[in-house]
Amino acid sequence: MAASKWVLIRPFFLILTLHSLAIYLFTRGFLLTRTELSSFSHCSDKSQSPCSIPSPTNNANASFLGDHPPKSGSNGQCWTRPAVDRLVIIILDALRFDFVAPSFFFEEKKPWMDKLEVLQKLASDEGMSSRIFKAIADPPTTSLQRLKGLTTGGLPTFIDVGNSFGAPAIVEDNLIFQLANNGKRVLMMGDDTWVKLFPHRFNESYPYPSFNVKDLDTVDNGVIEHLLPSLLRDDWDVLIAHFLGVDHAGHIYGVDSTPMIAKLEQYNNILEEVVQVLKNQSGSGGLHENTLLVVMGDHGQTLNGDHGGGTAEEVETSLFAMSLRNPPAPVATVLDKNYCQLDLDGKKICIGTFQQLDFAVTMASLLGIPFPFGSIGRVNPELYALTGRTWETHNQCAEKLGSHSNLESWMLNYVNNLCVNTWQVKRYIDLYSITSVIGLPAEDLLYINALYSQAQGSWLDIMKFALYSENGTHSRIMDNTTSVLQRQIDAYSSFLEGVAELARFAWTEFNLMLMVFGLCVMLTSLCVHLYSIRTVHALCKSYYPFSGSSTSLRVLTVIFFVAIRAFSFLSNSYILAEGRVASFLLGTSGILNLWFSSDTGEVAVENLLFLVLNIIIRFGMESGLSKETIGSGSSIVHSFGSTGIEKGWSLKLGLLELLPILALSILVVLIYIIISRNFFWKRLKYFYTMGNSLCCMLMSVHWIVESNIIAASEELKNFGKTFAPRIIYSIGLLHFVLLALSLTINKKYMVPVSNPTDALAIVATGMLSAWSSTILILLGRQGPNVALVCILGAWCITRLNWAAQVDAESGTATGPISNPMPVLQWSLLAVCLFYYTGHWCTFDGLRYAAAFIGFEHFNIVQQGILLAIDTFGVSHIIPVLSIPFLVISKHQISKKKQPDGLLFINLTQAFLIYGLITAFTTTLTIICVTIQRRHLMVWGLFAPKYVFDVLGLLLTDVLICVGSLFYY
Amino acid sequence: MAVSEITTPKAAALHLLCSLSLLVVHWLAWNLYSWSLITHTSETLGLCLIVHGPIVIGVYSLVRRDRQHCSYWMAVARGLFGLPVGALVMSFGAIVLGAPVGIRYLKRTAYWSLLMSIFTFVPPACVFGSSRVDWHRIFAHFKPEESLDALVCLPAYGSVIGAWIGAWPMPLDWERPWQEWPICVTYGAVAGYWIGGFASSVFILIHGPVHVKED
Repeated sequence: MAASKWVLIRPFFLILTLHSLAIYLFTRGFLLTRTELSSFSHCSDKSQSPCSIPSPTNNANASFLGDHPPKSGSNGQCWTRPAVDRLVIIILDALRFDFVAPSFFFEEKKPWMDKLEVLQKLASDEGMSSRIFKAIADPPTTSLQRLKGLTTGGLPTFIDVGNSFGAPAIVEDNLIFQLANNGKRVLMMGDDTWVKLFPHRFNESYPYPSFNVKDLDTVDNGVIEHLLPSLLRDDWDVLIAHFLGVDHAGHIYGVDSTPMIAKLEQYNNILEEVVQVLKNQSGSGGLHENTLLVVMGDHGQTLNGDHGGGTAEEVETSLFAMSLRNPPAPVATVLDKNYCQLDLDGKKICIGTFQQLDFAVTMASLLGIPFPFGSIGRVNPELYALTGRTWETHNQCAEKLGSHSNLESWMLNYVNNLCVNTWQVKRYIDLYSITSVIGLPAEDLLYINALYSQAQGSWLDIMKFALYSENGTHSRIMDNTTSVLQRQIDAYSSFLEGVAELARFAWTEFNLMLMVFGLCVMLTSLCVHLYSIRTVHALCKSYYPFSGSSTSLRVLTVIFFVAIRAFSFLSNSYILAEGRVASFLLGTSGILNLWFSSDTGEVAVENLLFLVLNIIIRFGMESGLSKETIGSGSSIVHSFGSTGIEKGWSLKLGLLELLPILALSILVVLIYIIISRNFFWKRLKYFYTMGNSLCCMLMSVHWIVESNIIAASEELKNFGKTFAPRIIYSIGLLHFVLLALSLTINKKYMVPVSNPTDALAIVATGMLSAWSSTILILLGRQGPNVALVCILGAWCITRLNWAAQVDAESGTATGPISNPMPVLQWSLLAVCLFYYTGHWCTFDGLRYAAAFIGFEHFNIVQQGILLAIDTFGVSHIIPVLSIPFLVISKHQISKKKQPDGLLFINLTQAFLIYGLITAFTTTLTIICVTIQRRHLMVWGLFAPKYVFDVLGLLLTDVLICVGSLFYY
Repeated sequence: MAVSEITTPKAAALHLLCSLSLLVVHWLAWNLYSWSLITHTSETLGLCLIVHGPIVIGVYSLVRRDRQHCSYWMAVARGLFGLPVGALVMSFGAIVLGAPVGIRYLKRTAYWSLLMSIFTFVPPACVFGSSRVDWHRIFAHFKPEESLDALVCLPAYGSVIGAWIGAWPMPLDWERPWQEWPICVTYGAVAGYWIGGFASSVFILIHGPVHVKED
C-alpha cells in the first residue's frame, strides 16, 4: 500500500512541475511586465545632475527672467527654462496619419484624406511655426494605455505591477502630476478616462462618458461647448480637449464612411475657429502671446476602425504643432530628417517624425517643469525648435563659448535640455534595474552605461573648458562651436535611442521563442497526462479484470464536449460567453444523462432536479452579467429591483437582507447532517461541528451589521465588521492545520475506521469544512445560495454517477475511466459556479470588495490571498477538494466488497481526468493567445483570460497534489 | 383505404411533402406579406405552424400503426394531443440550455417549441399513440429496427441535433439579425429535419418497404 501510494501520487507532481515550467516559459515570452516605480521628480533634484555644475548659469537666468517673467513659480527656472507659457492640447482619438497628412504624400487619394485642410494650410503657409508630424505610438494601441504612455513618457505594458489594484488611476509620476505639483492650472474637457486616470489633478474638468461607442456626438459636443469660451479665459495654463467622435465612428462605420468624413469636416471647422481665436490673441501682451497648440491623435486605426495591435495603420497617428511665437529661423535648418514634398500650388510641406514616447518629456521641457520620473523619451528637436524662445541666448556659458548666431544658441539650449533629459533617463534606468522584479538584460545595461558616461563626460569637458579657460583661448572653440554641439547632441541622442530600444525590447516585443517553447512543454505535459491515465488504467485492470472496451459512447461524448469547450476559446465571442457555453454543455450533459437513463427505463428524480438546477445557475449567471454592466451591489436586490417591486421598498429590502441568513441556516442544518452522518471521528467531530456553527453565527452577525438594519452600538459594529471575519478565517486555518497535523502524526489512531472508504469520506469532509466558511464569508450575501446550489449540484452528480455505476455493475467497466461523464459535469459545474458567483475573466471582474472583508487597510499579501480565495474558491478549491465524493459514493453504495486499493486507484483516475480537462482547455487558451497575439482585443480579453486560466490550472494542480497527500 | 405498406417512393414522397410545405410557407410569407423569419419571426413561425402542422398530422396519421383499433381521426386526435405536450418538453429543454426568457421572447419561444413539437413529437404520437414500448424503442435505444421507426425518428433526431448545432452561432459578435433567438436555431432544426428525412428515405431504400400490420 505504502509503495503504491507514491506510484499513484508521483504523476501529479510530475504534471505540476511540467505545467509550472510551461507556464513560466510562456508567460516570460507573452506577458510583458514592467514595475511601476513610486518615485517622483522634483525641482530640487536638478542639483544632483551633472548639468548644473556651471553655477554662474543661475545668475544669467535671473537677469534673463527679469525680461520674461513666467506666469507661475516663484523661483523661476526649475529643470529647464520654460519656452512656452500656455499649452493647448487637442486630442482627436484614433486620428490616422493620413487624416492629417496631405494626400500627395500617399500613392492614392482616398475619400477620407485632406479633410483637415486647416492644419495642412497652416503647415505649408507658416512653415516656421507650425508643422505636421507623423507620430508613432507604441502598442498596445488602446486609448487607456496610450494616455498612460503619453503622460508618463513610458511604455505601459499589459501588467504594470503597481501598488494599487482596482482603481485605474495612474500612480506613477506623470505629466499631469508634475503640472499640478508645479502650480500649473490644468483644464480638461472630453473623454472621462482622463478623470479616472488622474483624479483630483485638474483645476477644472468637463468629463463626458466615453463607454457608449454608438454615440458619436455627446463627448464632442460637450467639448465644443466649452473649448472656445475657455480659450478666451486666462485662468488656466494647460488645456486638454479630448474628442472621441472619430474613434467611435471608426468602430461603428469604419474609416471609409460618411459619418467619419462628416466628423472630420466638423473637426476642421472647430480647429479653424480655435486657430482664429489663438491668432487674434497672439499679439504682444495678448492671452496667447506665447502659446503652443498641439493637435494630436493617441493612436491610429485600421480601415475597419479597430485598434489595439501593432500594425502600421494602428501605430501611425499624427501630431500637429503650432507655436504662436515664431522662431527666428526656419526649423528645417537644424534638421535633416525631414520628409518634404511640394503641393499643387508649389508650396513646400514638410513632415517630421515624432515618437509618442517623447511627448511627456518634450512638453515638460517646453513648460519648464520636472520631467516625469519614469519617462524614457527624449526632447524632440523639431518640436523644441518650433517655439521662439528656444532660439534666444540666455546662458552665460553660451557667451563664453561665443555663440552668437541663432542656430548656435538654439543648439546650446537644446544640448542643455538633453543633458538634463539624459541624466533623468539614466536615473530611472538605474533605479528600475535595482528594484524591479524582472530587471533588464545585463549586457544591454552595460552598453547603455558606456554610452552615458561617454556623453556626459564629453559634455563636462566642454563645459569646464569653456568656463575656466580665459578669453584668449575661447577663440579656438568658437571656430567649430556648431560641430562640437552637434557631436554632443549626437552623443546624447545615441544614449537616449539606446535606452528606448532596450525598453521597447523589454516591454513591447513578444519573445516568440519562449512562447513556442512553453507551448511545446505544455503539449508534452498533455502526453504525460494521457500516459499516466493509461498506466493507472492498466493498474486498475490488474485489480479488477473486465473485458469492456475503453472507448464507449460515453467516453466519446465526453471527449467531444471537452473538445467543443476547448476549441470555442479560439473565438473572442465564445470567451465572452464562456459561462453560457459551459451552462449549455452542462444542460446538454444533463439531457444526455436523462436519455441514457431512460434507456434502462428508470428516470431518476435527480435527473430532473439537475436540469432545474441548471436553469437556476443560468439565471444567476445572467443576473451576474447584468451586474457587470451596472456594477452595483447584491444580485438579489438587483433582480428584485429590475422586476419592478417598488412599493414597500424598505420593508422588502429588510426582508432581502434576512434572506441570506435564512439560506445560511438551511445550509448549517445540511452541513450538520452531512457531518454527523459521515463523521465517525469522535474527537474532532465536535470541534468541526462547533467551529462551523460558530462561523455561521459570526457570518450572520457580520451581515446584519453590514446591512445596517439594526441600530447597533459602535463596539458591536466594529466586532461584526472586522473581528467576526477574522475569527472565521482563523477557525478555517485552525481546522486545516489540525487536520494536517492529525494526519501526519498518527493516521491510524486518529482515523480508527477499518473501511478506507469511510476514512476517505472523513478526511474529505474535514477538508471541505476547513475551507467552506472562509469562502462563504468572502462570497458575501450570495454565499449561502451559491453553497446550496453547489451542494445540490454535487449531490445530483454523485447520485447519477451511482445510478450509472449500478448499471455497469453487471459486468462491464467501472471507474471514472469508463464513465468520465460525472467528472466532466463536475468541471463544467465548477466553471458555471465561477460565473454564477459574479466573476468573469477580466481584472475588473475581480471582486475587490471581498478582499477587504475584515480588513480596512491594504496589504498586498493579505488582500491578495483573500482575493485569490474569493476568485477561485467555488470554482477551483471546493470542486477539486470534493472530487473524492465522486468515488466514495460509488464505493459506499456498492454491495460487493471492493478490493482495498481500488478506491485510491479510482480516485487517482478521477483526479487525473479532472486535471486533464482543465489542462486541455488551458492549452487551447494558450494556443489561442499565441495565434491572436496581435488581435485587437488581446489585452482586453485574451490576456486576462490567459492569466485566469493559467492561475486556475496551477491552482488545480497544486490542490490535486495537496489533496492526494491528504487523502491517500 | 390507407396504404398497406410504405415503399421507398412513398416514404420519399412523404418527406418531400413535409419538406416542401416548409419551403412553401417561406415562399408564401415572403410573397404575400413580405415576411421573413428574420424580420417577422413569430409571424412566420405561426404561419409555419398553420401550414406545416396539418400536413404532418395528416400524412403521419395515414401511416399509423395498429390500424385495426385506431381510426384515421383517432390518429389525428393523438397527434393534436401530442402537440402541446411536446411543446412543453421542448421549451423546457430550450430554457435549460439557455433560451432567453421574457415577455419579448414569450411568443417566439411558444411558436418555436410548437414547431419543434411538430418535427419531433407529433409524428410518433400519430403513428404509435401512447404505446410505451414503441416510444421507448425509438427514443431511448436509438435503434430504429424497422422502416416505420426510421420514418418517424430520424427526422426527429435530425431536427433536435440541428437545433442544438444551430444554437452555436448565437454568441458570436457578428451582430447579424439572424443570430437572435430562435432564428438560427430554427434554421438548424429545419436543416436537420430535411437531412433526417433524406436519411430515413435512404434507410427505407436499404431495409426494404415497411409492412404495416393489417391484422
